[in-house]
Amino acid sequence: MLELNNQYTVMKRQVHAEVLKAFFAGTLEQEVDALPIKIIPKARIANRCCIYKERAMVRYRIMALMGINIETEDDELKSLSSYVSEVMEKDKHVAPILTTISTACSSCPPDRYLISEACRGCFARPCLANCPKDCITFSNGQAHIDDARCIRCGKCKEVCPFHAVVHIPVPCEEACPVNAVKKNEEGFVEIDYQKCISCGRCAMSCPFGAIVERSGVMPVVKMLKAEEHVTALIAPAIEGQFPGTLAQIKQALLATGFSSVMEVSQGAETTSLHEAHELNERKSEGKGYMTTSCCPAYMELVDKHLPFLGERRSSALSPMGYAAEEAKKANPQTKTVFIGPCLAKRVEAVKLKTIDGVLTFSELASLFIAKGVDVREMEKADLGKTDSFEDCREFALSGGVASCVLSRYAKADEVSVLPINGIDKKMFRTMKIWDKRQPEADLIEVMCCEGGCINGPGVVVKPSVALKLRGGNKAAAPVKAMRSIVGARE
Amino acid sequence: MGKKERVSVKICVGTACFVQGGADLLLYNEFLDPVVLGGCDIEGVSCLGGCKDPNAKDRPPYVQIGGVIHGDMTQEKLCKLLAEAVHA
Repeated sequence: MLELNNQYTVMKRQVHAEVLKAFFAGTLEQEVDALPIKIIPKARIANRCCIYKERAMVRYRIMALMGINIETEDDELKSLSSYVSEVMEKDKHVAPILTTISTACSSCPPDRYLISEACRGCFARPCLANCPKDCITFSNGQAHIDDARCIRCGKCKEVCPFHAVVHIPVPCEEACPVNAVKKNEEGFVEIDYQKCISCGRCAMSCPFGAIVERSGVMPVVKMLKAEEHVTALIAPAIEGQFPGTLAQIKQALLATGFSSVMEVSQGAETTSLHEAHELNERKSEGKGYMTTSCCPAYMELVDKHLPFLGERRSSALSPMGYAAEEAKKANPQTKTVFIGPCLAKRVEAVKLKTIDGVLTFSELASLFIAKGVDVREMEKADLGKTDSFEDCREFALSGGVASCVLSRYAKADEVSVLPINGIDKKMFRTMKIWDKRQPEADLIEVMCCEGGCINGPGVVVKPSVALKLRGGNKAAAPVKAMRSIVGARE
Repeated sequence: MGKKERVSVKICVGTACFVQGGADLLLYNEFLDPVVLGGCDIEGVSCLGGCKDPNAKDRPPYVQIGGVIHGDMTQEKLCKLLAEAVHA
């Protein structure tokens, strides 16, 4: 997975902030066609071939932010402003969440192992001895791989004492756990939406930014601008994504125009209780293992690839589902907007019907910038009574869901837990055989992203930073900066 | 030889800086040379105003080192600038 701190992230956030600024100023339609030129000025030293290609990419990023399906709706003769006026009229259909920009795709060649100059042609030759296909030959004092025979097992890379073997992957294909990302005949990226589970790994790993999320930001900012009653449902992972306390983040949301803020951890309490109850039932009836059901990418994985797990997953709604019900009960007129790190949540939101919009943390950050809201400068909002669900903020971390369920389960020490911390290709293969060989656990906690939701595709900061800023880990924080960043936490 | 003054370092944690890479600078305990770290007083501060200047040549994140504001800050650049400031 691509390191979060990179030029592409910076560019994307800049584009998002500029678009939203213009939107709130009411000048988006007039300004939008000039934005690519404003963002990529003539003097810029281009990271792509030239500034003109970079401008074209900014155009596509703006279209993705508008929620436009670039694969099907791209019309180069159409101005951005006419796209914008369409979006102002009518919200775009949500599915599919991802779309590809074929002109951004670098058509990476098939993945391969290559022996570099660093090869010393040593005497022991562990590469030769360990290659199962005999595809290593020596000439001019160095080893070479016969690509035609290589099965890309990586053994030679593992055993080379000089680290001379490099693996050159196709990042998007490698990242996709379910082989939904493939190259078409021209070598450009294509996503098979019948297989795609909307986990967002491919979008997070492409260094060219050729796979993008069709944002859900426009429907939300339209609600805010129309001053409708909007409830922000903030995911447990939000703490640590911004330079301030949870109370300050809540205040920042109110300052941005949301009418009320509700912690999804509140819904997580209901999910935990429901799952604890269900676990008890299943255990007493000897029905075998149960999996959690809060990760929407996992839900998609079951629906599309592992149908036998359908009866294994808990029947509980996700925390978002319960929180939305709660919010609608409190005020039937309110529009609910889930704010989280997840792309697949949008798929779930469409199914639920109690959710009116979904934002990622990254989009919220752009919204804060556009509105000039500084989280750190905010007063502390009243979080209300949080005692009963405070521990559920740990839903954002791997292991957190299971521990919340167990703490609501009478005989917790009798339960064996198996946390699935991230679903990659290998984990997917492991899960496939659960059909034949049952995993030895009572409760399986499944999180598609390694580390949990704090490592989701829509986060602002990397998990190491988020963990430092989260409440439970005060000790890990740099003392002085911590004091000044998060203010007095007590 | 008199005791050297410690270098005052202020990392901007205004939203714009934080979002555009400033958050990574807060991991300074991990990426700075311990000797350099020992010679600095590092703190996170409210918006330094760098992002509000329409004519600014550089972009967030901003860091103030000994009274001078530097933009486009990265971990590498901060290492270099602080090493220079501490050993000066």
